Amino acid sequence: MERKIVGIVSGKGGVGKTSITASLASLAKKDLEIQVIVMDCDVDAPNLAIILPPEDESTIKKEDTFTTRKAEFIENQCINCKQCIDDHFCEFNALKWNSQNSIPIIDVLKCEGCGACKVLCPEHAFEIHPVKSGEIISYNSKRGIPLIYGKTQLGSTTSGKLVSDVKEFSSNSNTFNNSNLILIDGPPGIGCPVIATISNLDYVIAISEPTPSALHDLMRVIEVIQHFRIPFGLIINKSDLKSTFQKDFKKYINETGYTKLGKIPFDLSIPKAMSFAQPVVDFAPDSKASLSINNIYKNLKEVLWNNIQ
Amino acid sequence: MNSKKSKIICITGGKGGTGKTLCAVNIAIMFKNEGKKVLLIDGDVENPNTYLLLNGKLENKKDVPFFKPKINEDKCSKCGLCAQNCLANALLHIKDAFPIPILTVCSGCQLCYKICPENAIEADSKTIGFIYSTKINGLSLFLGELMPSEARSAAIVEALLEKFEEILEAEPEKFDIIILDTAPGAHCDVELLIADADIVIPITEPTKFGKLDLIRIMELIKLLGKESRVIVNRSSLLGFREQFLKELEEENIKILGDIPLDSDIVESYCQGTPIMDSNSVFDREGAGYRAFNKIYENLKKWLEITK
Repeated sequence: MERKIVGIVSGKGGVGKTSITASLASLAKKDLEIQVIVMDCDVDAPNLAIILPPEDESTIKKEDTFTTRKAEFIENQCINCKQCIDDHFCEFNALKWNSQNSIPIIDVLKCEGCGACKVLCPEHAFEIHPVKSGEIISYNSKRGIPLIYGKTQLGSTTSGKLVSDVKEFSSNSNTFNNSNLILIDGPPGIGCPVIATISNLDYVIAISEPTPSALHDLMRVIEVIQHFRIPFGLIINKSDLKSTFQKDFKKYINETGYTKLGKIPFDLSIPKAMSFAQPVVDFAPDSKASLSINNIYKNLKEVLWNNIQ
Repeated sequence: MNSKKSKIICITGGKGGTGKTLCAVNIAIMFKNEGKKVLLIDGDVENPNTYLLLNGKLENKKDVPFFKPKINEDKCSKCGLCAQNCLANALLHIKDAFPIPILTVCSGCQLCYKICPENAIEADSKTIGFIYSTKINGLSLFLGELMPSEARSAAIVEALLEKFEEILEAEPEKFDIIILDTAPGAHCDVELLIADADIVIPITEPTKFGKLDLIRIMELIKLLGKESRVIVNRSSLLGFREQFLKELEEENIKILGDIPLDSDIVESYCQGTPIMDSNSVFDREGAGYRAFNKIYENLKKWLEITK
């Protein structure tokens, strides 16, 4: 079967991306036609490792990434001319003047490592260095599913680049070449890391729930998905939530005509399974939620390989 | 409470969907109910939802421009200096051709514009999002919104903070309380807002995911040198409350309060009427309502001891 790379996003956080990714991965693992690997690209808050812990701690591979750059001030080159401040070298306001010592100070959190100060300073008092932007962790999980994920270095500012690094790292691995389904747990939002996650994917699963916020955020992330012309399908989580918004929500979603992979009713089996660090399809295979996810998995396979919308 | 300087409270949380916006809106409403002048800043510019929870309309839309290099082909000597110095690789230069800007990777540093020996690069701009300022039900609201498919969300957060600083400079006493609502995660948009706050309230939930992400955001808050106290939302989930609160205590994490699962809260969220709104129809003795009141009392005590 042809290899398919599928991302799971939602716009809004906390609507079930990670729980659903873990369950779909577990179903794929039991499917004889499928060789699955999983990536967690929510590099700010990677959580999939809780449900997919390593089989053996000693086989965990960690690799630091250095795709972020930061400026460094070389004090003995500085002639205190203040041109860096007066001519506004830094568009990110990362240069501040310390009038006591008549030198600039770099606000490392604001510095984007663009190199403008280095090039513009006539005395060459700035240098640009790569700094640790995060790490990529990979291992074979207890469930036999290979997991690759990224984790940002706090304060390093660039989550999007790390997402691209994680995707590149995984595409160079042996397990990738032997797999035919790659599931990527995406970050919340619609910005840089989401764009990095969904670029070049074969398919995107967009998850929502029947609340005004979740619908609003879903429509925004769909705009991004459509911008990159990637086919997508919807999963409605907590689909039977008791609320006055249900009617409007159903009407709105139906009128869009978007592909629906399925819905998952509110089911306490999901948080219970999570508290035991298990995918719900393994923890409570006969629960309402698990039956729904089985159905979604079937629909996903149809959409991916039989091209049935 | 110190009346001379407004207090800035940042609501954040690491994990998505824990109730950041719910808490930000209701805390803002409770201060307003007591006659305070409140400004709510929605800094979750990828997905701003405060106005949905307040059932309000966005007004006074302003474009947020972002630098875009424009090559003036009449002046350009095709020397390639701009492309050589662009660390983001946002200028593609092929020998004897005009450089081509690749806007999707441009950081906006403007170095190309500043160093071009022929002054052949103009500082043009494109709109990457909007900021709105509006008043809903007695609350002032500033809200940032990134345009879908744009990546530079931090520039919108900065535009919001600039606007806010301008107002504080012109009228320092315009607001008593400023509430900042952040995006999930621990990236630059979140950092910028935490760095601006006097105190930080991370919102979490009693799950393994909630705890892991909370510990991460606490590291960032510590890195930025801010004081914080946590709200545990959905605390009654599956009877995890006591155990979870104990675990946080063991991590030396201070608690501001907790909010149990409550159907009134879900309904208020879907209706766009904050549960703490003085006109809301929700049960004043309900678990959610009482939990928010208790959090408010604790918050006021905390503010009194915070300089």
